[in-house]
Amino acid sequence: MKKKWIAAVLAATVALTATACGGADTDTTDNTAKKGGTGAAVFNGQLEENVTIRVLENDTAIEKGYFKELIDAFNEEYKDKGIQAVDANMDQYLDLANDGPYGYGPDVLYQANDIIMKYADGKHILPLPAEEFDCFEQIPDTAWNAFHATVDGTEYTCGIPVNVQAPMLYYRKDLLPADWESAWDEDKDSVPDMIQSWSKMYDYSVARHEANKKQYGYMKSLNDMYFSSGFLFSYGGYIFGNNNTDPSEIGFAAGEAEKGAQVLSQLASAMNEDCIDDTITTNAYSKLADGSYFATISTPDVYSTFLDELTKAYEEQEGLSEWDAAKKAEENLVMTALPQLPSSGDLTDKNAEQIVSKCMGGVNGYAVSSYTKAPNACLEFVKFATSYDMVKRRAHMLGIAPARGDVAKEVGGTSEEIFKNLDAGNIILMPSISAIAQIWTPGQTFFIDLAQDVYRADNEKKYKDLASMKAGLEDMCKQINEAITTLQ
Amino acid sequence: MKQTVQTFMKTATVPVKMSLLLMGAGHFRYGSISKGLLYLFVELSMIYYLVQRGFNDIRGFFTLGTQRADAWAGIEGDNSVVMMLMGIFAFIVIAVFAFFYVQNIKGAYAMQKRAENNLPQKTLRQDLADLLDQKFYVLVLALPLIGVCVFNVLPIIFMILIAFTNYGGNIVPPELVDWVGVDNFRKLMVLSKFGPTFLKILGWNLLWALLSTTINYFAGLGLALLLNKECVKGKAIWRAFPILAYAIPGFITLLAFKFMFSYGGPINQMIISNGGTPFGFLGIDAKWSARLIGLLVNCWISVPSIMLLATGHLSNRDMSLYEAAKIDGAGRFAQFRKLTVPFMLFATMPVLLGQFIGNFNNFGIFYFLRGGMYMDGYFLASDTDLLINWLYNLSIDNNYYCIGAAISLVIFLITSVISLTVYVKSPSYREEDTFQ
Repeated sequence: MKKKWIAAVLAATVALTATACGGADTDTTDNTAKKGGTGAAVFNGQLEENVTIRVLENDTAIEKGYFKELIDAFNEEYKDKGIQAVDANMDQYLDLANDGPYGYGPDVLYQANDIIMKYADGKHILPLPAEEFDCFEQIPDTAWNAFHATVDGTEYTCGIPVNVQAPMLYYRKDLLPADWESAWDEDKDSVPDMIQSWSKMYDYSVARHEANKKQYGYMKSLNDMYFSSGFLFSYGGYIFGNNNTDPSEIGFAAGEAEKGAQVLSQLASAMNEDCIDDTITTNAYSKLADGSYFATISTPDVYSTFLDELTKAYEEQEGLSEWDAAKKAEENLVMTALPQLPSSGDLTDKNAEQIVSKCMGGVNGYAVSSYTKAPNACLEFVKFATSYDMVKRRAHMLGIAPARGDVAKEVGGTSEEIFKNLDAGNIILMPSISAIAQIWTPGQTFFIDLAQDVYRADNEKKYKDLASMKAGLEDMCKQINEAITTLQ
Repeated sequence: MKQTVQTFMKTATVPVKMSLLLMGAGHFRYGSISKGLLYLFVELSMIYYLVQRGFNDIRGFFTLGTQRADAWAGIEGDNSVVMMLMGIFAFIVIAVFAFFYVQNIKGAYAMQKRAENNLPQKTLRQDLADLLDQKFYVLVLALPLIGVCVFNVLPIIFMILIAFTNYGGNIVPPELVDWVGVDNFRKLMVLSKFGPTFLKILGWNLLWALLSTTINYFAGLGLALLLNKECVKGKAIWRAFPILAYAIPGFITLLAFKFMFSYGGPINQMIISNGGTPFGFLGIDAKWSARLIGLLVNCWISVPSIMLLATGHLSNRDMSLYEAAKIDGAGRFAQFRKLTVPFMLFATMPVLLGQFIGNFNNFGIFYFLRGGMYMDGYFLASDTDLLINWLYNLSIDNNYYCIGAAISLVIFLITSVISLTVYVKSPSYREEDTFQ
């Protein structure tokens, strides 16, 4: 009996082993069946019905209620198809490359061009049929280029531009000298000279500080590469070669970029040691509000923070009601384009020709994940979100500078100014290649050193003339190049 | 071993020998059906696992993938990193199976011997009862052991293996990773940019670990001795203050100190209000002042824990030794040097070594106090960075995971050699019975 039982167990063993082998075959077939699903070809116009699209949006858009309006409007429009857009409820710093293949990423992403485009090489986002979008003709090539990628030798567009981010000058109208119209408006165009020219801004900074040692004119931490690099670009510097696509050529020292470094150094001399580290960046809101600083630069998205701080200051300092304080703050806080620079790179040169300031910027836009199960529905969502009405609504609610020319014109003011600057090539967009990650720390180190140099004793100074500044910039480029190439 | 095998082959019965091929066969023969079934189940599971994915995982471990993923073309492709992990897991499964396999043969042979000596066979129930009695330690330790294997050993092996691949830079999924042997270690030594930076950082790292451990230890011990004095009133309140510093998360303390020493911080404000010039305590020129501030801030964070530890140990001192020393004319410093320090070193040497390793790998101090600068003469590092910060710059900021892993291995070798040497030479190891 026992032997029979053992024989039965052995037979079962053989059978199970055979089954196990069979299982493997079946699995292989399944894997083959999974292939051929995704790709640009998946945009076939056939909307997937009864699907939910997870959208990763900008935090400010969510906070200020724009995103809710957007998805409510989209869901209403597509409710008969059963397509629903929802907040992906994910962190802005998600990693689509690692999460996407396992189904954890969003279906649609709204992020800056450098973030979106780092996914293009690995094909983690889908190439989009840009020409099909009604915004195609309205968006300048510069903005489209930020989302262009060459993959396997072919060029693709992997994102749809929505808004442009660029540094803006913030200043307080009520801190202008009482006699500005006679003393600080040489061209009599009713715009203070210091807002139009960095040379005049420097003069005013020196004058304001001399009059009151606790007050300053223009203040900004130099260590922020994003803001400081624009001064280099204005004199011929650039980030990477071949329209920011070739990291083997690093151009921060190109042209007469050292003149930009000299301008920064002169501006730093009218500040204080706080410009060396990030002290000014941290306290700019409160210092502009309490009148210690006259002007600073920042991005348009923090306008409301400056405004809130100034409102609070008026309430506390002048005892105004909240409404009156807010009204006064709106009148006095001005956000405008950057002043012009002297072609000589010397802020004390009164006869120099003025040149346009360039700056580093970025374009935020929408992209579609390669791992979405509903690519056509996602494409429809992106078309909806980048339509004239929605971008206009976005600009009104969030104060962004739209990438669409028609909306920028309609909104006017700063938005239009930024758009014009982008169109004119004065906003150098962050390159959409992975090597961009290597520029920040070497750049920051150089600018810290440059700012520190202003406060070093004469015998310890490293940057005494343009040649030494050029050498410093070349060192920085070398460091970036080594970071990119050494271990490849 | 050879003799044991020969004896086994000579004396084992056919069913026991069959256990070599069919696990549980010997147990079936000698009446332990349930144990036999369990062993058979293990074998069948192993076969199922190997066929289903085990063989593929092992092959994948060596190839690290052959098909690049292409999301646009719908090709799932191979993920080299996952393949490596699953390969390691497959080897662990095989090792576990090997353990059961040996137990199966040993068990069957032991049953044969008991049968030959007319001894009753142990049932599964008796074996399980043993696990709750004589072999309770096996039951209790098995789960943590499995946990350690999965959560500690697996990542450590993974990290070690990464050091022998080209993972990082542009070679990240969907690109396929390859084995490159000791190429990364060669780069560390040979590349002109690496060698000098590595040596400079290593020198500072060793000095930092030594100084910070010594300062923290003696400051903590000193504080504990002070608060142990009978003349100190309100000891509980005095002890509470350092604990407050300990209770605040380290990175918040570090950011607070960074602000304090910044140009706009309160220390510089005081200097300015007294007519002085602001000083860049943590600035680009501040190599040694930044290092000194790092040491002091680390002391601020670490002293409370040492103080608590020392307070506990000091209460176990044999005070009669101090009385005797006093009678013999030993002064306070002599008592401290000859009695307190040896006693404390004996009792706390493992903790002290832990502190040394912790300080050697103290990532937060200079990351929060003075991050974001690359100095001249250093490759992707500053003059206050420790090896762990450099490792971070390389592996996280710059994606060179393989080089980061290679540096990790070097750090591991350095710290383990120092720790083992110090420990083996310490009284805690050599004179274990001295204070017992």
